[in-house]
Amino acid sequence: MIRALGYFIEIIRGSLITARHFMANMFFHILKVLGIKTKRKGAVTIQYPEEKKELASRHRSLHRIMTREDGQPRCVVCMLCVTVCPSECIYVEAAEDPDPEIQKRPSQFVIDLNRCCFCGFCVEACPEDAIRMDTGKVEIAQYDRQDLIYDLDKLKE
Amino acid sequence: MIKIIIDDKTVEAKEGTTVLSAAKLAGIQIPHLCYHAAFIPEGSCRMCLVEIEGFPKLELACSTQVKEDLRVWTQSKKVTEARKGVLEFILAEHPLDCPICDKAGECKLQDYYEEYGLFESQFKELKEKREKKVSIGERLILDRERCILCTRCVRFLREVTKTQELGVFNRGVRSEISTYDGELVDNNYSGNLTEVCPVGAITDTDFRFQIRSWFLQKGDSICPLCSRGCNISIEYHPGFARIPRKKRVYRITSRENLAVNDFWICDLGRYAYSYLDENRLSNFLSSLNGKNKRFDQESALQFAAQKIKKLYDKKKISRMTLILNSWLTNEELFLVRKIFRDDLRMQRIFMVDPSQGEKDKMLLTSERSPNRKGAEEIGFDFQSLDFKGLAGKTDVLVMFGEYLLDLASLEEIKAVLEGIETSILFSSKESALVSLFGLVFPTALAAEKSGSFTNCEGKIQSFEPVLESWGESRPEWQFLLELSRELDINSNYYNQIESTTAVLEKMREEISFFQKEK
Amino acid sequence: MIEFLIPLIKVILALVWLLLLTLYVADWVERKESAIIHDRIGANRASIFGLRMIGLFQPFADAIKMIFKEDFTPSFSRKFLHSLAPFLSFFFVAVTIAAIPFGDTIRIGSRIIKLQVLDINVTLLFVLAMMSLGIYGVILAGWASNNRFSLLGGIRGAAQLISYEVAFGLSLVGLIMIYPSLKLSSIVHSQGELLFGFIPKWGIFLQPLGFIVFLFAALAETKRVPFDLPEGESEIIGFYTEYSGLKWGLFMMTDGMEIVIVSTLMTTLFFGGWQVPWLQADGFHWPWGGEWFLASWIVVILQVLAFNLKVFFFCWFQVLLRWTYPRFRYDQLMDLGWKLLIPLSLVNIVGTGIIMSL
Ligand code: SF4
Ligand code: SF4
Ligand code: FES
Repeated sequence: MIRALGYFIEIIRGSLITARHFMANMFFHILKVLGIKTKRKGAVTIQYPEEKKELASRHRSLHRIMTREDGQPRCVVCMLCVTVCPSECIYVEAAEDPDPEIQKRPSQFVIDLNRCCFCGFCVEACPEDAIRMDTGKVEIAQYDRQDLIYDLDKLKE
Repeated sequence: MIKIIIDDKTVEAKEGTTVLSAAKLAGIQIPHLCYHAAFIPEGSCRMCLVEIEGFPKLELACSTQVKEDLRVWTQSKKVTEARKGVLEFILAEHPLDCPICDKAGECKLQDYYEEYGLFESQFKELKEKREKKVSIGERLILDRERCILCTRCVRFLREVTKTQELGVFNRGVRSEISTYDGELVDNNYSGNLTEVCPVGAITDTDFRFQIRSWFLQKGDSICPLCSRGCNISIEYHPGFARIPRKKRVYRITSRENLAVNDFWICDLGRYAYSYLDENRLSNFLSSLNGKNKRFDQESALQFAAQKIKKLYDKKKISRMTLILNSWLTNEELFLVRKIFRDDLRMQRIFMVDPSQGEKDKMLLTSERSPNRKGAEEIGFDFQSLDFKGLAGKTDVLVMFGEYLLDLASLEEIKAVLEGIETSILFSSKESALVSLFGLVFPTALAAEKSGSFTNCEGKIQSFEPVLESWGESRPEWQFLLELSRELDINSNYYNQIESTTAVLEKMREEISFFQKEK
Repeated sequence: MIEFLIPLIKVILALVWLLLLTLYVADWVERKESAIIHDRIGANRASIFGLRMIGLFQPFADAIKMIFKEDFTPSFSRKFLHSLAPFLSFFFVAVTIAAIPFGDTIRIGSRIIKLQVLDINVTLLFVLAMMSLGIYGVILAGWASNNRFSLLGGIRGAAQLISYEVAFGLSLVGLIMIYPSLKLSSIVHSQGELLFGFIPKWGIFLQPLGFIVFLFAALAETKRVPFDLPEGESEIIGFYTEYSGLKWGLFMMTDGMEIVIVSTLMTTLFFGGWQVPWLQADGFHWPWGGEWFLASWIVVILQVLAFNLKVFFFCWFQVLLRWTYPRFRYDQLMDLGWKLLIPLSLVNIVGTGIIMSL
């Protein structure tokens, strides 16, 4: 009996908690509607397309290919990223560079973002720091799969 | 036999061998860079240092001959320290090129650093700059920075090909490998230099930047391009999961077989691998009565069997002609002999081989097919074929291979084939012949089938498939076995046979030549 | 002519009121309230010409979506019954609105119009009867789906509804004894009187125990959390698993409508219906003396407003409960119904009898 009563009290307390949340949040919402600025907000959510959360500095976003001073990609086609990529979504093809100090440069560098799992292994693997994932671009969705296959030109931007 | 003790293990070695090869035989690895089993040791790299009892200093395993009761330590502290030191000296002058070096992944220096080195570089000075891209042959590129001056290349050209195009020039730190007066390395074995070089100093343009070596898989096969039957490894790309590969085979490397080709293969065998991927026939083709009926394996075999059976039943088998070639394996030739000569009692069996090429002093023979000797032993003679004369004498023509083109022009072939009722071709290539024949079976190449070749010296070498078959193509022996079942003559015999090894067994029973190999 | 027109207009107005309120309670209030409880904002994207109006268009967006979704009838279902079930559910709940008094009477010209569609003398029984008939929709849906899990859901629903039907009915007996009438309009009228001269004679003050039992039983009747065993969208497979599109929408509407109906019942029976405390037909008569006379139309408006406010509060309250509690286990549910609510309601009847006979 006492236990049942205890339950009953807890039940009431439960609805008081939700009601309190409701009231408090409603209060701040109304303040906001009235144009009164408060430090606390009625909701903790972020209204995504309008408001954007700041990305962490280590956030892994869209890849980019780094370039040398002369605009050529830094990549030397060592294919370590191709080797390490768990999604097998990188495709690189080598071409001869006229400079014997460089020798190897990519003629094709394709990342299939449809497959990419944004693990960042390619960035870790690259010995030339040619590939980075620090563009801060996260809105890369497309209507066409083909548009998600990024080639060298797109990755250099 | 001499007994020596290496790392507390008693090892037997032949007199006159070196400590290194004795250890190798006993399964003890001693790192070495300049030593190559094919050449006289030179002892320039110092990687093979070992401790030998009674010697005040460390000794070179590659050039110390074994003596009775020699005690050798290959793992002692002194030795490992010394190895580390040697590696550090070599690497001090070696560029950090691994990301762009074609040898990466199979480079001995890399491996040894991983195994015995793993030190932090103490070398603070700038590395020395040298030419990175010197052309030393039609397909060869020398990178002097990467060269460790082991002189394996020089010794290969001096001792094996005896052409001596390379030498070590200058002295001391300025030593470098070079050609004499800019004359390029020009012999039929130059491709072996890329394998001989333990690092990535000599690479070839053919494989240059094509792919990284660790993407490739290796399979053992026999080179079918001449009758030497050199042992090769086919290095192919198994394919990415989702991205189409450019080609299957990226290179061919030699495989050690002291009885046939030592360590070498010729440039023809090394670089002519594109035939495996290009112009391949992937479907059954037919242009019967001008109509294109789709055939698959079953219907094609039924069709062929029906045509042959008809002639046989009418006792007109003499109006059938069979043209073979010696690219067929022993097993296939044997099956042909059993089916067509022994069972069907055909007489008109000819061999048409690719025309002969040049031979050289080492391995390459003039015959451009792998199994002429085998064909002879199985009992085919190479009577010359009067192709133009076929017209009136033949109702059914069955031909293997497309080497007829070496014998007659396309117009002539066309004219003759028009007079033949049924013409069947077994071909692996999309050659010009394909459209002339009534029915074409796509066949596999040696790299895609199992079987054996008999080389020009009478050595029988078996091999297994390395690559997957191309499209609908199948090895000829499978077609022949199926055909024998469709023909349904002497079927008890063929029903015992399922694989090429079973065919080989039968051959051993029936032909004395094949018995000796056992 | 006018005799037909007035009831027709009344029916239409009542239905529009019910449907709109249902739409907003079941969709907008439900979503917004839960969001605010959760420190979220809730659906606010549906817009007309870029006008978002804190998500007020959301119910319409949802309704449009529901209408245009594929109405899929499984091949193995009993087609006719399958289509019939949601309509039954919907219909029996919807008709109860006819018995609810929205206000007293208004006078247009010489005509006195009751703000109630149907004022027969057993309106309370009518409401109870109609709400019980709603069970058929549930059972039929489970049965016609021809899916054993749906059937089990339907049976669970029937068992639950029947169990709580008893407590639901019994909890009202005390009330009927006090305002000796089965007529909702006269019950409301009786609640306009005062107790001890200052407390409005509302059901809640006269029948607190009855109210608690009624509250639980009514919540159970709505088949919502914490009593949502018949369906339990989140995990239990229930009676409308095989429904989609508009038919599923009808079930959802029925659910929402039940909230509204239960709220109106609570208001009418226990919270004075359209009565405003101390407001008489001619204005306020304060218990501490003094009067404040108002025009009769203002009084009517105040009363209708009061009714709406109360109904809305109880809708809000039910949604609050739904977002507070976890679901009962089935045995707990049955225990609560049979071992607690029914004895309590019997105690309530006996107690009321004793007090009344004193
Ligand atoms: S982030 Fe990971 S999955 Fe994406 S390309 Fe790089 S390695 Fe591949
Ligand atoms: S090029 Fe290669 S094989 Fe020749 S000396 Fe240099 S390291 Fe040795
Ligand atoms: S292998 Fe012995 S010195 Fe090079």
